[in-house]
Amino acid sequence: MPKHVAFIMDGNRRYARKLHVERQQGHTQGFDKLAETLRWCLNLEIREVTVYAFSIENFKRAKDEVDGLMELARQKFSRLLDEQEDLEKHGVCIRVLGDLTLLPLDIQKLIAQAVLATKHHNKCFLNVCFAYTSRHEITNAVKEAAWGVEQGLIKPSDVSEFLLDECLYTNNSPDPDLLIRTSGEVRLSDFLLWQTTYSCLVFQSILWPEYSFWNLCEAILQYQLNHQALQKARDQHAEARVLQQLEADRCCAADLLQQTGLGKPVDPQLRQEALQKYTAEREERVHSFLTALQEKRDRFFTDLNKGFIASAKA
Amino acid sequence: MKWHSQSIFLSGGAFKNWNAALYEWLKIRQKIFLRLYMMAVVYEFVWRMLHALLHLQRTILSWFRISIWNWNWRLWRRAVAAVQVPAVFGFQNHTYNNKKSCGRVRWKSDGKSLEKLPLHVGLLIAEEEPRYTDIANLVVWCMAVGISYVSVYDNQGIFRRNNSRLMDEILKQQQELLGLDSLKYSVEFLNNSNDKPEQQVLSCQATVKVLSPDDGKPGIVTAAQKFCQLVEQQQQRSTDLDVNMLDSLLRGTKGMPDPDLVMKFGTVDSTLGFLPWHIRLAEIISLPSHINITYEDFFSALKCYAGCEQRLGK
Repeated sequence: MPKHVAFIMDGNRRYARKLHVERQQGHTQGFDKLAETLRWCLNLEIREVTVYAFSIENFKRAKDEVDGLMELARQKFSRLLDEQEDLEKHGVCIRVLGDLTLLPLDIQKLIAQAVLATKHHNKCFLNVCFAYTSRHEITNAVKEAAWGVEQGLIKPSDVSEFLLDECLYTNNSPDPDLLIRTSGEVRLSDFLLWQTTYSCLVFQSILWPEYSFWNLCEAILQYQLNHQALQKARDQHAEARVLQQLEADRCCAADLLQQTGLGKPVDPQLRQEALQKYTAEREERVHSFLTALQEKRDRFFTDLNKGFIASAKA
Repeated sequence: MKWHSQSIFLSGGAFKNWNAALYEWLKIRQKIFLRLYMMAVVYEFVWRMLHALLHLQRTILSWFRISIWNWNWRLWRRAVAAVQVPAVFGFQNHTYNNKKSCGRVRWKSDGKSLEKLPLHVGLLIAEEEPRYTDIANLVVWCMAVGISYVSVYDNQGIFRRNNSRLMDEILKQQQELLGLDSLKYSVEFLNNSNDKPEQQVLSCQATVKVLSPDDGKPGIVTAAQKFCQLVEQQQQRSTDLDVNMLDSLLRGTKGMPDPDLVMKFGTVDSTLGFLPWHIRLAEIISLPSHINITYEDFFSALKCYAGCEQRLGK
């Protein structure tokens, strides 16, 4: 069974057109379908779900549609906060991924509250991508790494796939095993491009508000059929990554030795020791950088929350 | 299962009653366990049947897909032949040169007949044993139909390691399929190590690039390291980075446009590490295999692409 499933919930507007109702109703039905799908996933022991709720590109839509979606978000996040006991009972941890500074301030504050309230829950995880595109996420990860270099915490050569993994919004989640896109489109549309390189991609023609339990089962079956081949490819990639890191460390250690050795030939024993020392130091640097990064991220939410509490008291 | 606890009175007659009650309780428990066990067996059987059915469905579908495409293609060719001069565009009993020339002209008109043609096609070979001739055919058909950029990818880096063999095969098939006009349909091979083209040609009609997993995430890591070095040297600040800057760092000086279409060959449902950054809007069309691939199958995939609607978030 997949442990982490990602959904691109496409087709709300086409569904509304099909039923000759307002677009907003299509989006509301879509949200209800999301709640239903989460229940199915829990029943099937799928503990982590990531959904593409709102893309940065969607800001290009008509103003009334965007406002309608923001209002829907406002209502749903407020309701989530009301149901905190229920969330605690089921151990649901809610994370919101994206460039939250692009959203209205009151929604940012609601999100901060929801995220902080459910931060320590660990039975199941819901990641909502809101004001998100994968390219922005990757660019942000590189920016964070550059910030680390600016602060003197890491060197440019410390930047690796592993480091960028940790700098993404999804650093606390494993890569999705399965990505499902509804409504028949066969593209990724800037969603989790980095994280889904070895995920099973399932494109289903059903519109999102019409999604059924059997559609989900079909997707899971397809994942199971692909599992072996994907696991093999993933393992190959992981092996290659380890070798690349080792090679990079070796080069850096050799450079350092050359600088201190003043052109004298270096014996293998010394080279090996230098490599081990360099690797240990690099890992130490990366560790302290990641701790600082986590603190920076937490501060963003706690500051928003303080603002929320202050404005609520006022 | 909730069991009501029974209070036990240990007197003579009551002991007999207790014994009888215990016996009854054990019988019921045995029945329930048996039922659960049967359910588990039945569910496992149903799950295995679904697996087998899906396998069967996939095999039948891929067989049908090929026969239906072939059938459609025969109708399409007859329609084209009816409109144009039969002597030149007929497809029976012609000399070798005539066959090549009518193939060539047919392919060009096919390209023009589509609503939209991709600018850059990525050929993703997700199969263990690649056949160079078939891949060369695909590349040449792309060129003949009017596609300007073609990339060839496999997730084990086989094509990258056998770059020259693939290039030779492409040139051979170009001569074979396009005949005298092969000079017009000239090819520029982009070598990855240095940005100089392998072959200088008179007029560039198509660019072919061979890619491997190293061009994916490791490519992004290299661009990130480059930016971090600029930050270290205080030529840039971390906050200067945006999506466009990272995009140009990734593209380099001889960058190709992003793939519009990824043709995936094989039964694995994944991008297997193919250019994660660049495929954000690429349509992913799957074909069962590249072995003995026919022009008809290839063109059907292009027709499928022509029918896709991109809303770009709007």
